[in-house]
Amino acid sequence: MTTTLDTVAGAQPALATPPVAPPGRRSSPRTRARADRGVVALGLAVAVVLAFLVGYPVLNLLSAAFAPDGLEVLRRIVTEPTNHRIVLNTLVLGLIVGVVGTLIGFLFAFAQVRVAFRGKRALHLLAMVPIVAPPFAVATAVITLFGRNGAISNGIFGIKGDIYGLSGLVLVLSLSFFPVAYMNFRGMLQSLDPSLDEAASGLGATKLRILLSVTVPMLVPGFAGSFLLLFVESIADLANPLVLGGDYTVLSSRAYLAVTGDYNTSAGAAYSLTILLPALLVFLVQRYWVSKRSVVTVTGKPTGHSEQIRAASIRVPVLVIVGALSALIVTIYLTVLAGGFMKVPGVNNELTLDHFRFVLTGIGSKAMRDTAALALIAAPIAGVLGMLIAWLVVRKLRRTSALLDFVGMLGLAVPGTVLGIGYALSYITPTVFFGVQVLPALAGGTAAFSGGIAIVMVYITRSLPSGQRAGISSLNQIHPAIEEASTSLGAASGTTFRKVTLPLIQSALVSGLTFAFARSMTTLSPIVFLTTPGLKIMTSQILAEVDSGRFGNAFAYCTVLIVIVLSLILLINLLVRKVIFRGRTHSR
Amino acid sequence: MHRRTVPLTLTAAVAVAVLAGCAPSGGQGGADGSSDPVTFICTPQEDWCQLVASEFTSATGIPADYVRLSGGEAVARLSATGDTPEFDAWFGGGAEGHLAADEAGFIEPYTSPNADQIADEYKDADGRWTGVYVGALGFCSNTDVLDEIGADAPESWDDLLDPAFKSNVAMAHPGTSGTAYQALWTEVDLNDGDQDAALDYFGELHSNILQYSKSGSAPGQMAGRGEVATGVIFAQDCQKFINEGFTNLTTTFPEEGTGYEVGAVSLLANARNPEGAKAFIDWTLTAEAQDLAATVGSYSVPTNPDATITDDMVDLDDITLEPVDIDAAGAARNELVARFDSEVAPAPKE
Repeated sequence: MTTTLDTVAGAQPALATPPVAPPGRRSSPRTRARADRGVVALGLAVAVVLAFLVGYPVLNLLSAAFAPDGLEVLRRIVTEPTNHRIVLNTLVLGLIVGVVGTLIGFLFAFAQVRVAFRGKRALHLLAMVPIVAPPFAVATAVITLFGRNGAISNGIFGIKGDIYGLSGLVLVLSLSFFPVAYMNFRGMLQSLDPSLDEAASGLGATKLRILLSVTVPMLVPGFAGSFLLLFVESIADLANPLVLGGDYTVLSSRAYLAVTGDYNTSAGAAYSLTILLPALLVFLVQRYWVSKRSVVTVTGKPTGHSEQIRAASIRVPVLVIVGALSALIVTIYLTVLAGGFMKVPGVNNELTLDHFRFVLTGIGSKAMRDTAALALIAAPIAGVLGMLIAWLVVRKLRRTSALLDFVGMLGLAVPGTVLGIGYALSYITPTVFFGVQVLPALAGGTAAFSGGIAIVMVYITRSLPSGQRAGISSLNQIHPAIEEASTSLGAASGTTFRKVTLPLIQSALVSGLTFAFARSMTTLSPIVFLTTPGLKIMTSQILAEVDSGRFGNAFAYCTVLIVIVLSLILLINLLVRKVIFRGRTHSR
Repeated sequence: MHRRTVPLTLTAAVAVAVLAGCAPSGGQGGADGSSDPVTFICTPQEDWCQLVASEFTSATGIPADYVRLSGGEAVARLSATGDTPEFDAWFGGGAEGHLAADEAGFIEPYTSPNADQIADEYKDADGRWTGVYVGALGFCSNTDVLDEIGADAPESWDDLLDPAFKSNVAMAHPGTSGTAYQALWTEVDLNDGDQDAALDYFGELHSNILQYSKSGSAPGQMAGRGEVATGVIFAQDCQKFINEGFTNLTTTFPEEGTGYEVGAVSLLANARNPEGAKAFIDWTLTAEAQDLAATVGSYSVPTNPDATITDDMVDLDDITLEPVDIDAAGAARNELVARFDSEVAPAPKE
């Protein structure tokens, strides 16, 4: 892992340890040093785009956080025990969800790629369903199933379960976010070199030993990347703490409360600033830790196919856990599906088609078209941008790579409510730098496309990080020699990226696109501040239905949303694999 | 490269075309050229907002469009736009939200000629806001759960303190919800302005609370699903849940007296279409406009005395209302909520 190590050494000389690089990879720093003009131009372009997407709105927020009201809140966060508890709650939630979600994702991916069993396609589909978790749907379904009067907790076991608080949040957030980890691990496991397994096996290691001492260590960047992503997502999530939080207040719900309850934007910004700090910390730690571990497994040398594991010591526990979790996911989503057909889910279970009629013919149909159109614009931009950032971070940049990586991740680390305010502050009025108008108004009802541009920008900002992380994880696995070969044959950096790198990280691109689309379709909290009369957004319609207590309509919306997203994801997959790459799959 | 990027470009182009196709349909107002459209912030539920916009247009010929925002979101969004607001008027939501917007300088006082009909306690003397509907605070109880715990539907604030209700009461957090703040303020009023006594009451109630929800109407849903026995919410919200099919719910009112909210309409400062906005405000105060609410399942009480009171609405004459000084309640809000946060909410439950 010379590349990342150098980066860290460059960025933080104090932390530098002498690189113990394996022979044969010494050449990479030199290659990077003579970066060609294309890379510089590309780097600048990405930096400018990120500045508009993330930098400017976040800067506006920071200035709000350091306004008098915000400073007062920052002071109280440091001094008041109530606020210490909120910060602690947030960290505990992030850590638990990060660990649990990453493990679930790993188990699903491992079962999918390496363990022999029937029904792999079904399992894959099942692991993908939660990425389309419309806000409120899973939490509401979980309350219906496991709440104090839940169909399972009270109906079957007769207990008044209490899922409000940490336990319920961990359950719902882990189940909603683990697909990110699953997609990461799946891509990485598929491109692992089986000859290492074979070598270990030839030396007499058992399957379990191979898993623990060969496979898992090679996946370290995946574990670290997934953990970071889940940690950040769970501490910035808003919808679930609102519905399920109970007395367990976290920073994101506190920030929301400050904005919507106290009418105090500065205080909201100040609370959000506090969310950024742990995110930054975890980010730096994982970066330093991963950079010390070599994980190159895609070398370009011919390799064979990995065999499926049949040993009971691995197969039985993995399949039992995966099976149990799958059953849980199926139950929850069946509740959502069934809820759309019931008069009042959980109270009056009479069957009806009214909710679907309302959604498909009423206000819902315009919302569906608008949301899908905006998400379809945002997804390819976010997907490609994520890969570009990953490539620049891992391969091309030295000093600035940590900064670029972090700025890319910011869009997810800032709680949605606050990002939305940052956007509103920045883009409802024309953007002016030093007296020169740089951009016209992009958000709000008076802007072009009914303010759709700002909504697309938020979608991109929110969905960029998952693709970026997936790209970075897979690039870390690929030996730079493959790209160097292309460069030494005379190809420019840009050509190398398009012809060699992109096909190699195809699965990361596909997962980036998939998440970008799903995330865009289900983003709620930042959109609230950007919706305009001209555009109807599905998630805010769902919120409106939940608000009025019409759960049937909300569940029907969610079902329709899930169907749209899943079918479009399949389409994107097909388009990328069969049309854009024309079956040129370099990954095995 | 061309082979690779063309489909992506195509996708984007198609999507842009779709988007461009949608965009004008939203702003159809400008197309017929008769008059400038009115754009308003709408805080009540979606279908009410929709009906208000379309009925206003058919009554006056002025095209209207809205964005649905909660009170706090509206204030936050208004502060983002500064001097170039996107909106002309703000319809619905508690008067205290309109007052918060006024404090930040977003409201233009306007006294509608139609406001004469509205009772004084439901409008601001300076015309900063005018009431369009009133909602009374009540207890929304699930009769099945009441049977289970062997309690009757609460008839007074003290009934809620009964140990039978342990972990069986839900209310929103006063910091996030105007509904809950109304409850807190009512208790202050009932104790003749003694904030300490009010907080003592909520300190006692704390053991019976299952959770402080974030949204004001959520406790009603929790009661409807049998998560708790009773929720402290506005009576019209409880009635709405009953009509949506939560038929095991019942509404009761505290005999000592209960608080109420006034849903208001106001004119925004620097409106792009102030004349249209004034016409809009005038129209929302008419009986015909206020009668629309009940047709979409919103059962708050209209402020216009000529508007129809349906069976689903509370007859305000039948219950004890505790007069609310909205200005005083708003002024005390930050301090009172902070005290609730530190003195009541963090206490461990018994």
